Amino acid sequence: MSYDLFLGCVIPARLPFLETSSRKVFEKLGIKLNDVDGFSCCPDPTGIELIDQKTWLALGARNLSLCHNNGGVVSFCSGCVETLKGVNYAINKDYHAKEEVNTVLNKVGKSYDGKVEVKHFAEILYEYIDKVKAYIEKPLDGFKVAVHYGCHYLRPSEIINWDDPFEPKTVDEIVRALGAESIDYEMKMECCGNPVDKSDKDLSLVMIDQKLKAIQKAGANCVVVVCPACYQQYEFNQRELNKKNESNYEIPIFYLSELIALSFGYKPEELGFKFHRIRPNKLFENLDFIF
Amino acid sequence: MSIINFEFRNEVLKHNASLSYCYQCSTCSGGCPVALITNGKYNPRKIIEEAILGLKDRLVEKYDPNLWLCSTCQKCVELCPQKVELTEIFTLIKNLCFESGKVPEAFIAQGRSVLENGVAIPYSKAILTRREKLGLPVIKTAQIDEIKTILKETEFENHIPKEAE
Repeated sequence: MSYDLFLGCVIPARLPFLETSSRKVFEKLGIKLNDVDGFSCCPDPTGIELIDQKTWLALGARNLSLCHNNGGVVSFCSGCVETLKGVNYAINKDYHAKEEVNTVLNKVGKSYDGKVEVKHFAEILYEYIDKVKAYIEKPLDGFKVAVHYGCHYLRPSEIINWDDPFEPKTVDEIVRALGAESIDYEMKMECCGNPVDKSDKDLSLVMIDQKLKAIQKAGANCVVVVCPACYQQYEFNQRELNKKNESNYEIPIFYLSELIALSFGYKPEELGFKFHRIRPNKLFENLDFIF
Repeated sequence: MSIINFEFRNEVLKHNASLSYCYQCSTCSGGCPVALITNGKYNPRKIIEEAILGLKDRLVEKYDPNLWLCSTCQKCVELCPQKVELTEIFTLIKNLCFESGKVPEAFIAQGRSVLENGVAIPYSKAILTRREKLGLPVIKTAQIDEIKTILKETEFENHIPKEAE
């Protein structure tokens, strides 16, 4: 199987090491990712869409018009997936919106019919879960993982059309397949607070503080995410919270692809773990997870 | 004193008719993570109520409640027994806020970046070096002229306040 790859902005231009592990995992599983030149911002469903929805729709449709792979398009980012699925939903539901978008796209010699299938990378990994299991060289024994699904991976379910919007299971199942334990915690389904950062930093910190507190209380030793916005919210704010409050957060944050890559036997230096702000070295030592 | 603005109400209804389904049960606010931590100061039910009543000045000027605090988590949309598309309605109202120009700075910065670069975060030299070291391919983003043509067509620039001289 092969897919066109939509990278978006945050992962390739700020957190490229997350791209490294994701590409490695797909390669190992024999799923071909086709790089496409000429994409713009997806655009951000928590940013550009709030400035002007018409622009969001037009740029999103333009991006989709560049995808020609039979398998459709895949992204490593929940925000990009929400936008691209949302654009499909909007223009397939509303004929006038489709006409209007195509009038704009015609100005640059493009058009879009609303038919490109969009998938989140975790969706595909879940489909390949048996193959994932077959490639495990180092089971993640002792990893007590707090799974954070994030919002846009799931909702609105009518648009995302994937896992259960309130009781999801896909990422938990992948985590368990790797030999790790998925730790249940209070507030598991709450938002990380990242989008609120644009308008109220303090409020967004309260939201992530609540989650980290619950994760610590439940005894998890790491967190797994499937969205770069959630990743940044969890990773970048722990030290800030420790300075502000009396917390002592030092919880490593993994991308789902990183956990899978670790179980496949890739080494921290191959995965760019040195770019993590909270390095997982201590966790590896504690668990005797030796490379 | 609030002023009822029928035009505003009709604009929202025309954009998303689900506004009229709301019977103010407050399930949205009950499930809202931001309502929870602001003790109800941020209140999605109230935003919908004010939209139905056409209280544009409260929503777009006074930010009472401040709809920019919505985390777009979409729980309200999922929970609503009447299938009111709350985030869609909030999106339209936020779009209108850009017409008046009083909006959080971070959105303007992102808008400007897309206007100038076609992407929210352009590749810096340091990141390009890092990508090379990580063995990642060079990705060409959109030709900016093409993006500018589209943004001109959608009049995107009119929504972005000019930079102060």
